[in-house]
Amino acid sequence: MNEGLGSVQRPIVAHPIIRFHGATFGFPGVIALKDISLDIAEGEFVGVIGPNGSGKTTLCKAILGLMRPLGGTLQIFDCACEKLQCHHRARIGYLPQKGGLDKNFPITVLETVMMGRYGVLGLIKRPGKRDRDIAREALSHVGMLEHETSALGELSGGQQQRVFIARALSQQPQVLLLDEPTTGIDIVTQHSVLDLIRRLHHDLGLTVVLITHDINMIRPHVDRLVLLKTRLFASGRPEEVLKPDILQQVYGKELVITEKDLIIVEDYHHH
Amino acid sequence: MLELLSYDFMQRSLMAAALVGALCSVMGVFVVLRGLAFAGAGTAHAAFAGVAFAYLMGLPPLAFAIVFGLATVWITGLMEERGRMKLDVSIGILYTATMALAILFIGLMKTYNAEVYGYLFGSVLSVTPEELRIIFGLSVAVLGVIFLFSKELYFIAFDQEMAEASGVPARRIYYMLLTLMAVTMVVSLKTVGAILVFAMVLIPASTAYQLTHSLTRMTAYAVTIGTVCAVTGVVLSSLWDIPTGPAIVLLATAVFFLSVLFSPKRLRAVS
Repeated sequence: MNEGLGSVQRPIVAHPIIRFHGATFGFPGVIALKDISLDIAEGEFVGVIGPNGSGKTTLCKAILGLMRPLGGTLQIFDCACEKLQCHHRARIGYLPQKGGLDKNFPITVLETVMMGRYGVLGLIKRPGKRDRDIAREALSHVGMLEHETSALGELSGGQQQRVFIARALSQQPQVLLLDEPTTGIDIVTQHSVLDLIRRLHHDLGLTVVLITHDINMIRPHVDRLVLLKTRLFASGRPEEVLKPDILQQVYGKELVITEKDLIIVEDYHHH
Repeated sequence: MLELLSYDFMQRSLMAAALVGALCSVMGVFVVLRGLAFAGAGTAHAAFAGVAFAYLMGLPPLAFAIVFGLATVWITGLMEERGRMKLDVSIGILYTATMALAILFIGLMKTYNAEVYGYLFGSVLSVTPEELRIIFGLSVAVLGVIFLFSKELYFIAFDQEMAEASGVPARRIYYMLLTLMAVTMVVSLKTVGAILVFAMVLIPASTAYQLTHSLTRMTAYAVTIGTVCAVTGVVLSSLWDIPTGPAIVLLATAVFFLSVLFSPKRLRAVS
């Protein structure tokens, strides 16, 4: 399946909706992801981890159909990613990395969430009552309905993250793809955002692919962890992937797992 | 005043000013939100170079204004995509190069041509019935396309990558926006001139930006401010016998500073 250590991918019972087969991504002269073979099944909750520059965001862009493989294949919803149409993309709800949002950008919470309907509707067609109802339902899923008329720029970081999750939900997606959803928000809010994602996975039956740096935060929530370092290094249940020897090979430092299942750098542990 | 309105030339210039005021302000909303201000200024000067070239060669000026304007915006778009150089640097080079071309073409003309200077400084009071028909036709066409694709245009102004990822053909919509911007510049050239046209794009939209947190309200405010300033500017320039372009632009600038002083966003931030 792949050349990494600890390649312990579980047999997939449910239908795979994202299939990488020997896929390589990058730009001329720079390979960001090499020879990736990975199936993500419908209804799975997959965490994608790896050090800086390991290809996590490239994997995300590939799933969104924004990058074509230089070699190998990627199929999304049984469709080769090169042939991916706009209506396929609308089936993946995407939460991008938290960027610098212009505080003064004139947009309300409801207007932001309605944007999730635009790709689904197609060109020219105007959103109607049904679309507003879907957007409001998405807002109530993330507990932000009472803020629908607020200015987006006036919300806290955690609230904005919820609004962007609602925007993704208003696409009525099959897959929720989240790129570093807990970066830049405080620890209490991080937990509540992760709880929300887990609840959406459970209640709405969404397939979740979550990219993160925070191994300790993500491990209790996911069915499967995918560990990247340009190649697919390991894929399996958290306890199968988070082994000291595998982590050391990927992160290049002695990482230890403490009695309370926290993963920390060993030098730090000694101090 | 009423006597003034009975003249054909005055009626034509008021209609031209109202159309250009509305068109520039709507375009301005997307230009301001998408951060295309400098690219727009460059396009206006490129369009003027087209006019100068056409007069030098004895060709139709508006057609060449469109050709030069479109070539510049498309090159700008490609440079932004390739991203090898900072966009303000590459636009700055294009901007000055096209202006140098315009000066070269004017210098090559054997006689002084007042009409060319009309396109540089604007001469709305000399708009001919045929020019008014062209302004009307192009304004309706551009506003119609903006209306049809407004939801996509708002989305790419907010976040182009997010738009692409959620199933909107964002790249094509972006090039459409650049094309519409070039046509807007050309339509407005005769009325307010290449130097001041960009004020008509930027100022009403920036004024509206100060006043609201909603995209739809921002557009409505911008159109109202732009149209009222353009029409009032023409009336004031006739009454006081001052040049029209500066009258419109200085009036709009005064309204802008008032909006900054009384902006609800700023007042809230201070309190």
